[in-house]
Amino acid sequence: MRFAQSFTPALLLLAAGVAQAASAWGFDEGSVSVVGRKSGEAVKEKLNARAPLSKPVSLGSTDTLKLSLTAKDNGKAKRPHQAFLLLQEQESGLEAPFPLTVKENGKAVAQISHKDLPVQLLAATKPLKASVVLASFGSAQGLDAPVFELKIETDPNVPPPAYEKPLRYGKKPEIHHIFRPDPKSPPKVVSLFFTLAVVGTLPALLIGWFTLGGNLNHLSKAIGAAPLSHATFFGSILAMEFVFIMYYTSWTLFQTLPVIAAVAVATVLSGTKALGEVQSRRLAGER
Amino acid sequence: MRSLISFFVFLFAAAVSALSTTGNRLLVILDDVVEKANYSKFLADLESRGFQLSFETPKSESLALFHLGERSYDHIIFFPTKTKGLGPKLTPNLLVDFLNAKGNLLVTLSSGVPTPNSLVSLLAELDIQLPAERTGLVVDHFNYDASSAADLHDVLLLPPPGPIRPDVKDFFAAGAPKDSLLAFPRGVGAVLGPGELLTPILRAPRTAYSYNPKEQAETVDELFAAGEQLALVSAFQARNSARLTLVGSAEMLQDKWFDAEVSQPSSGAGKKAAAAGKTFNREFAKRLSGWTFNEIGVLRVNWIEHHLDEPGAANQSNPAIYRIKKDVKYTISLSEHAWTAWTPFTLPSASDALQLEFSMLSPFHRLPLQPDPALSTDDAAAYSAAFRLPDQHGIFNFRVSYKRPLLSNVEEKNTVSVRHMAHDEWPRSYVISGAWPWIAGIGVTVAGWLAFCALWMFSAPVPAPGGAAGAARAETKKTQ
Amino acid sequence: MSADLLQVLASAGKGKGTRSLLRVIILALIAGAAVSSRLFSVIRFESIIHEFDPWFNFRATKYLVANGFYKFWDWFDDRTWHPLGRVTGGTLYPGLMVTSGVIYHALRALTIPVDIRNICVLLAPGFSGLTAIAAYLLTNEMTPSSSAGLLAALFVGIAPGYISRSVAGSYDNEAIAIFLLVFTFYLWIKALKQGSMLWGALCALFYGYMVASWGGYAFITCLLPLHAFVLICMGRYSTRLYVAYTTWYALGTLASMQIPFVGFLPVKTSEHMPALGIFGFLQLLAFLDYVRSAIPSRQFQTFLWLFAGATFGLGLLGLVIATSAGFIAPWSGRFYSLWDTGYAKIHIPIIASVSEHQPTAWPAFFFDLNMLIWLFPVGVYLCFQELADEHVFIVVYALFGSYFAGVMVRLMLTLTPVVCVAAAIAVSTLLDAYLNAKSPNPEEVQALESSEGKRAVKSGLRSTSKPVVGVYGLWGKGMVVGAMVVYLLVFVLHCTWVTSNAYSSPSVVLASRLPDGSQHIIDDYREAYQWLRQNTREDAKIMSWWDYGYQIGGMADRPTLVDNNTWNNTHIATVGKAMSSREEVSYPIMRQHEVDYVLVVFGGLLGYSGDDINKFLWMVRIAEGIWPDEVSERAFFTPRGEYRVDAEATETMKNSLMYKMSYYNYNNLFPPGQAVDRMRGARLPEVGPTLNTLEEAFTSENWIIRIYKVKDLDNLGRDHASAAAFDRGHKKKKATKKRGPRLLRVE
Repeated sequence: MRFAQSFTPALLLLAAGVAQAASAWGFDEGSVSVVGRKSGEAVKEKLNARAPLSKPVSLGSTDTLKLSLTAKDNGKAKRPHQAFLLLQEQESGLEAPFPLTVKENGKAVAQISHKDLPVQLLAATKPLKASVVLASFGSAQGLDAPVFELKIETDPNVPPPAYEKPLRYGKKPEIHHIFRPDPKSPPKVVSLFFTLAVVGTLPALLIGWFTLGGNLNHLSKAIGAAPLSHATFFGSILAMEFVFIMYYTSWTLFQTLPVIAAVAVATVLSGTKALGEVQSRRLAGER
Repeated sequence: MRSLISFFVFLFAAAVSALSTTGNRLLVILDDVVEKANYSKFLADLESRGFQLSFETPKSESLALFHLGERSYDHIIFFPTKTKGLGPKLTPNLLVDFLNAKGNLLVTLSSGVPTPNSLVSLLAELDIQLPAERTGLVVDHFNYDASSAADLHDVLLLPPPGPIRPDVKDFFAAGAPKDSLLAFPRGVGAVLGPGELLTPILRAPRTAYSYNPKEQAETVDELFAAGEQLALVSAFQARNSARLTLVGSAEMLQDKWFDAEVSQPSSGAGKKAAAAGKTFNREFAKRLSGWTFNEIGVLRVNWIEHHLDEPGAANQSNPAIYRIKKDVKYTISLSEHAWTAWTPFTLPSASDALQLEFSMLSPFHRLPLQPDPALSTDDAAAYSAAFRLPDQHGIFNFRVSYKRPLLSNVEEKNTVSVRHMAHDEWPRSYVISGAWPWIAGIGVTVAGWLAFCALWMFSAPVPAPGGAAGAARAETKKTQ
Repeated sequence: MSADLLQVLASAGKGKGTRSLLRVIILALIAGAAVSSRLFSVIRFESIIHEFDPWFNFRATKYLVANGFYKFWDWFDDRTWHPLGRVTGGTLYPGLMVTSGVIYHALRALTIPVDIRNICVLLAPGFSGLTAIAAYLLTNEMTPSSSAGLLAALFVGIAPGYISRSVAGSYDNEAIAIFLLVFTFYLWIKALKQGSMLWGALCALFYGYMVASWGGYAFITCLLPLHAFVLICMGRYSTRLYVAYTTWYALGTLASMQIPFVGFLPVKTSEHMPALGIFGFLQLLAFLDYVRSAIPSRQFQTFLWLFAGATFGLGLLGLVIATSAGFIAPWSGRFYSLWDTGYAKIHIPIIASVSEHQPTAWPAFFFDLNMLIWLFPVGVYLCFQELADEHVFIVVYALFGSYFAGVMVRLMLTLTPVVCVAAAIAVSTLLDAYLNAKSPNPEEVQALESSEGKRAVKSGLRSTSKPVVGVYGLWGKGMVVGAMVVYLLVFVLHCTWVTSNAYSSPSVVLASRLPDGSQHIIDDYREAYQWLRQNTREDAKIMSWWDYGYQIGGMADRPTLVDNNTWNNTHIATVGKAMSSREEVSYPIMRQHEVDYVLVVFGGLLGYSGDDINKFLWMVRIAEGIWPDEVSERAFFTPRGEYRVDAEATETMKNSLMYKMSYYNYNNLFPPGQAVDRMRGARLPEVGPTLNTLEEAFTSENWIIRIYKVKDLDNLGRDHASAAAFDRGHKKKKATKKRGPRLLRVE
């Protein structure tokens, strides 16, 4: 049954194709209407294959778009094999076809609401371009005509459909690491001023000591009493400071430690003697 | 004499390099070996490019994709077979294993022949949907061959496909004569999933659609797919760069459509006069098989080198450890295989970029690599980038992940450690002006200490103004 | 005969030279006993590093020995905390490693080639011998009776509280730190008693060594100023105190700042502020003291004291303001948890999750100190009786130490020395009184009493005079001495038993008894680590809970994501999240961190309690601390609030990666439907979990360690669940009607 049904028209079409070589598809009584669910109010516009509607048709989230037309082959109502409404997103060029339900007499209807639309079209910012395609087998020229523009209006209360752009291999944005800023020193003048101020304390200290009566008058006496130990002791103190300076500038820990040990031994050995001499002077009331 | 030898060496080298980069063992699966006569030109082209063809039927006893765990073939072509199952030798799992082992597949379909279950499952795994009835037929009432399918409109005529994106290399239409046309007779269209591994090579025109000739002869109410969503020839490249190409129409590879005369339908208003001419199918088939079997679009990393880019630094190659905030230079050498030989790789377009990432958890730097002519050779192009290491220590990767549609994947990761500043790598304190007062303080303390020592040891008592005070002090000291 | 021998012994003990010789011999014996009682684990198992942290110290020591000091100082470890790495040289206390390194090189120089591992294993026992000697010296400063010192040495040598962290193989910072602690205290007392700069400098030197060795140095940093402060409050300010304290503080702080990990903390953090405050206060007091001695005026003095008090108060106020303004870092979380034991559990789960940070249970005191715990108050009481400066120290230390030991199990360690010292004073006082063979002559005593009484009447301080105590009966003496000897023997027995049974397990190797009584070694850990070492790439990253980080680094020599140095809470929480989330959530985390293998510890087959399912809630809590929206502890409990693993377990629990990894394939060991988790005594659901993103790589003999390999991304771009389903033979269902809105393919 079905087989026969499908076969006959094909044969008919074949015949028609031979007969009417230069025929072309078109439509009549085309109209588009938007029916709101709540209001039931329909906005109806007539469609023309030659000139698209000047104003875009808007489709709310609860509305249904209804398209109806009568397909005609060379002015004769006829059922085409292909009767699509194509909705195109203008930025990406993505297109979704909606086949029309066509009756034998060429009357074709399509109903579209938000849930029928692919995500990308729902998320479109610009109006969708709607065209009607009518074509069939044989030699009849098909019709592919833009008819109107469709504006998708989303409900602000409903979150917009999540559309995640699919991963595509390609160039990625450049990234440059942002470095932490280097630590800053205060202006050199300030540093220099304070450096001089610090250095200035040394002469101040020495002058202070000498005005209070500090002197080196017992040097000869001390050297005379214990020449070797005094020289070594003071020398070792100097040497220790020198070792510290060397450690600061160039030496490693393992170069420093043995030298420190050697100097420290010298300090202790000579120190007992030298300080003993100092103590003897103190006990003698000479200090 | 010498020149003769070198000539032979050259010949030999040429013969070897004429092969695919993966290998030349090509298995052709046919329903009946006799059928191969239909594809003689296509197969002869393949043979002339150095492939060793073996012909098998799915039922063949000797057929085995793997031998001792190794691939027995490098590539497989599936021509349409009437049997619904391909038997135990070609189960979808085996085919997936074959892809995982870097084998390549060229699968052809035909609207007249049901697609074997095994291939349908395989394609479903790759997210390629075929029409449910398996016999969907693609027609287009606007772009058909008027000379052979004036009524049925099932021989589509299409221009050779250009790149899908401006920054993708044009493999299939480059150099095609103007107005050349591809014939796509009685084919099946597939719908591709959203994945990034799939690339439609040839897409149906926007007015084309797929229908079931048995059930939808009068009109199409339920649509499988239409327009550009319908992929006629599509490519899949796995992460390991194994390739699978799906050709919706096996017929387009047959001899009769190679260089066949075709003509577009004469159209009425608004259209140009009908174009007519020879098809581009033969060249297209060559390029398609060449791409599938790794003759073109294959990238090779020759070497990678990175080193410190500091003046006076020891120029050690590829050290395992760097220090933060040092300048480094990274160079990668890439070649692209073009049919017979390795050529220097060039970016397909100026808008594309070969990018280097320096990343730990997430990229710290992502920089374009610039061509480095000094290190490039006749068959390899070097790309390099110089940058300063971030001020964060950690285990970083130099990562070049160059993955583009239709080019084999380049995924290179070189791990280096980036260490912190060692204790003796900071600027010395005397260089920092802010530290000067502190250093002066140390100096003054040292000098003051020495002076104090001298004073304490060698100072004589001051004769006090009264003279008694000094004595009294000495007295108190004693008694204490 | 025996009397003769006693006579000889007594006469021998009389000479001064022989006495000190005897003392040296006894001390050497005590040190030997201390060392040998810590060798149980070496004898029972082998010379092996124990537990967790020691494995890191061991690894660091090997690095030091191989690369030298400066390389070690600047060591950037790229095999831990992947991919962050760890500036190890700057974030560890190097004292332990340097000590071992010095010993190693010294032995080398003496042409004694010893394996560095053996040095590390035996370092803790060796230093415990030194601790015994240090305790002897410290106690000798407290009491003239030299027997007290020897007793203290003995107590410290074998007290389980100290042994717990110093058995052979327990190569941890505490191994040398306790010796340094006791010795620093000894030097401090010495410096304080003599007012000597030399002893003060030595004290600072050992304090520096202590800082280089253990984070517990803060205990000294707080205890010494507290001691000084108490002395000042008691009106015992003296130049001795001034010299000792200022010398110690100035040199010690400088020394401590040389350790990179400590750096500027001594002048920046609250923990170190008391020491600085007392330093400043002492300067002020010294100044006032000088002024007071110069101007003798009573009103002026009171004014000065008021002034000093006001300055102290102002200083305290300034500290509070500086802290709140952020110039001084506030107390760290670990310190807050010392005041409020519930603090960590709420605010810093990472600290609370560490078992040794838990508050101490009461029995632990008796377990670790035995009879010392009741002798301890007696010793403190005796110190009160004399109350010289050094006795104040013992009292302060005792109070401080008891509090902290009660708050944190780990700090039992710092309490042990003072307990030993105080107990030794108590026992020696007792024994000195009762062991005196000569009975006091009543007349003499009476004469002494009357003369003392007279004097007391004169001075009017009768109540403070000492009551004269004397024991007259030999029988009574024998009783008491006998009882004491029994107690001491029981103490030795207890210590040996505790050491042998509780503290000598390496915890890397588990021992169990077979029905016939023979020992059975469960060596799953080493089996698994050896597997990792031999079967994975050298740079394969292993994800596990942080407990096993050091062991993986040390034994398997593989990079880990987190380890026992819990410095980065977020990174640990990341691992916790990966373990406690669904596979789909965990997989991207593991990819991002380049994880190759995941290691879990599962005790269900063996009934091993220290497994990851038992620790799982801590992982959840720590992850929840960072991602409260994505991980919720509540979701792991059944509606009735039970933590279950059987069929009643919550969906979140069943889908968590940890659950799946633990029970994957576990059903196959049992007849259908009879899989039992022996640890939790739960019957598991008939169908075990499926794993899509991981594949089982290794399971040890007793299923304690399970290692999984992280799968690569699917070659064909599928998600792992469908790829795994395909491999199992399930064909993809025809996507006839996809749910949700249609999607067009771009490009």
